[in-house]
Formats: sequence, structure tokens, C-alpha cells
Amino acid sequence: MKRFAPLVLSLFFLTLGLGPAHATIDDALSFALEAASPYVKEGFTVREDYWGGDLPVKSTKAIVHQLFKGNEYWFWMGTDQKNAKISVHVYDSAGNLAEVDAWQKPHFAAARVVPKKTGSYYLIVEVEKSPDERTYWSLAYGFK
Amino acid sequence: MKIALIAALAALSPVAFAQVPQKISLPPQSKLIEDVIVPVPSEIFGVLDNLGPSPNWVAVQHPIKTMASPMSDQPQTALLLGAIIAEGFVAVEAKDAEQVKQVGKSVLNLAKYFNVQKEVEKRSKSIIDAADKADWATVRKELDGALEDVKAAMNKLNSGQLAQLISLGGWLRGTEALTAVVGKSYTKDGAELLHQPLLLDYFDKRIAGLKPKYKLDPVVAKAQKGLIDIRPLIGLTEGSDISEKSVQEINRITSDLIKSIHSKDQ
Repeated sequence: MKRFAPLVLSLFFLTLGLGPAHATIDDALSFALEAASPYVKEGFTVREDYWGGDLPVKSTKAIVHQLFKGNEYWFWMGTDQKNAKISVHVYDSAGNLAEVDAWQKPHFAAARVVPKKTGSYYLIVEVEKSPDERTYWSLAYGFK
Repeated sequence: MKIALIAALAALSPVAFAQVPQKISLPPQSKLIEDVIVPVPSEIFGVLDNLGPSPNWVAVQHPIKTMASPMSDQPQTALLLGAIIAEGFVAVEAKDAEQVKQVGKSVLNLAKYFNVQKEVEKRSKSIIDAADKADWATVRKELDGALEDVKAAMNKLNSGQLAQLISLGGWLRGTEALTAVVGKSYTKDGAELLHQPLLLDYFDKRIAGLKPKYKLDPVVAKAQKGLIDIRPLIGLTEGSDISEKSVQEINRITSDLIKSIHSKDQ
């Protein structure tokens, strides 16, 4: 019976529509990759590697990432929390906004960069609004 | 009517950011996410293709004549696995299907040594199938996937430190190939691609944090010294030029390291 306990529990929560394990980085990644999907047709190569975590509302995380002049990059952020408002913005190593385009939608946010220099850039991710105490997020990127 | 139309269009379009700060104070080191994603070689090679006449990638290849086999210890084998995957990216640039297939088989053989072959079998098959069809975009994607799958599987087996050495091996081979191409027809824009202080710092920290038995491995110790030697050559400040001499010196260091990684006599 012990073996089936998690299954029974999952079914119980599914019936209630709660799903305790539904909010994970993997789910957030699915949304990030969904955001990336149209850009693949435009020739972007989406990396298999990604960042992820969970954040309280109104808090940010910074990621430093190497970008190369001559490439064009899209960063796609996803969350499984439909009612959350998330954002991603890209700054150069002097703290200047480096993105040339950015958008937000339910579940998604994205930013496009055409680096003026090769070097380190700061990706600032934020959960601006969310009904959850902590919101799972994931960030993928692509280049061409 | 016009206002209603504009409002409707605005509602349909992605939300524009009202107040994105144009300048920020950069967060201190302690507030940064420590995960660094190491670029795949094709992320850099593609830029070279756009900079000028297409490089002679065939001349940059280190053809694998027989399927790569494990070295005498785990750290060197991990470095070798990374270097072999990077060789796959070079072979893609050279559109060399036979080499790509050899890489696919070698990756699987080395993955077996680390008990992660199950995770890589599908990728290896896809690499070989896509090479047969000259579907280079898929080969690139599957090589990237193989790299991530091996590292993820090794992290699960508590071999995270060896997974980091795979990344380092790949970076060394990628940098060797990059410097070979840039060195052959030097341009400031091409050399600027070597400005990667973040990655050097990352690898330096990862080696410093290795278990003593890994850190004392002769090839790992050589790689650590190599990174220290490369550091002043890659442009210490943003925007500083990387000279032709520096490019050649980085090529010499990385070539030497790649030879050591492939050598059974370490």
C-alpha cells in the first residue's frame, strides 16, 4: 500500500485541482520553451541548458552570462503561475540596459539582445506580481 | 472609434514595459546566481562565419581515427569527453559527416565508462542519423543535448565535479579551434570573441573546489595552470583589444592542453 500512497495522494490532489507537485522549475521551463518555439522558425538555436528557481513577489535575481558580439540573443522566461507577472531584462557590465526588445504576457517574459561588445551581461529576472508566496521561474535562451 | 481600435490593439499585443530602468547598480557577487551556462562552440563559430570569408574548418579539425576510449583515470576521461563533444561541433562546421559519426560513437563509449550510456544512447543515434542526412542544425542540437544529458546524469550520480571537467574540456577544445581560425586571419572583431573573463573565473573556481584526488590529476593541474596563463591574454578590461600575439599564445596553451587530454602517457 505504501508504494501506491503517492499515486493515491496525487489522484486526490488532482481531483481537487490542487496538484502539490505541479509548480516546479520543469513546468516553468515548459513555458519558457513554449515562448521560444516561434523563434526557432526564425533560425534561433535554443540551448538545452537553462536557469531556474523560485522567487517571492517583488524580488529579483541576477545571472551573469557571456554574450558574443555578432550573435543575436533571445532570453525567454516562463512560469506555470498564470496569474503571475514576470520580467527579464538584460544589462551590460556597466549597468546600462542592453536589450533592444522585450515583452511580457501571462506565463511568459522575454528580452532580445544584439550585443555591442563581447563580454559579461547581467540578466535580471523578477516576479513582479503573483498570488503565490514563491513563484517558480525558468529562463532559457537562444542565439543566431 | 480610433481610440477604441488603438485600445483593442494594445490589449492584444504583448504588454510593453512602462518603466524599465535604463541604468542599474550591478548586484554584488553574493547576490548572483552561481550557475554559469558555458556557451557551446557553435555559438562562437557562427560569429566567425559571419565576420568574413568562411574559415577553413577542415584545417581546424583534429580527426578522430578510432573510437575514443577511456583514459587511465576519471578526470582525464571527463576532460576528453568534453573535448570530443567540442570536436563534434568543429566537424559540423566542416560538414564532415564521417567525423560527426565517429564523435557520436566516441561519446557513447566514454559515457559507458561513467555509467551514463543509457542517457546518451538516443542522442548518439540521433547525431549519427542526422549526420547521414547532413542535417547540421539537428547535429548541433543533439551534441548540445548529449552534453547536457551526460552532465545531468553525472550530477545525479554525485559526479558533479567530473561533469564540470567535461565542460572545461569542451571549452578548451572550442577555444583552441577559435584561436586557430582567428590566428589564421586576424581581425580585432574575431579576437574579441576571446574576451571571456566570466568563463575563466568560473572554471578557475570549479577547479579550486575539486576533490584533492581530482585536483592533483596531472592533466587537471596542467589545465589549472593553463587557465592562469590565459587570463591576462583575454583582455582584462571591457573593450580592450586582444592582440594577434595573444591569440597565438592562447592557441599554443590550449593546443598543448588538448594534446595532454588525448595523451595516454599522463
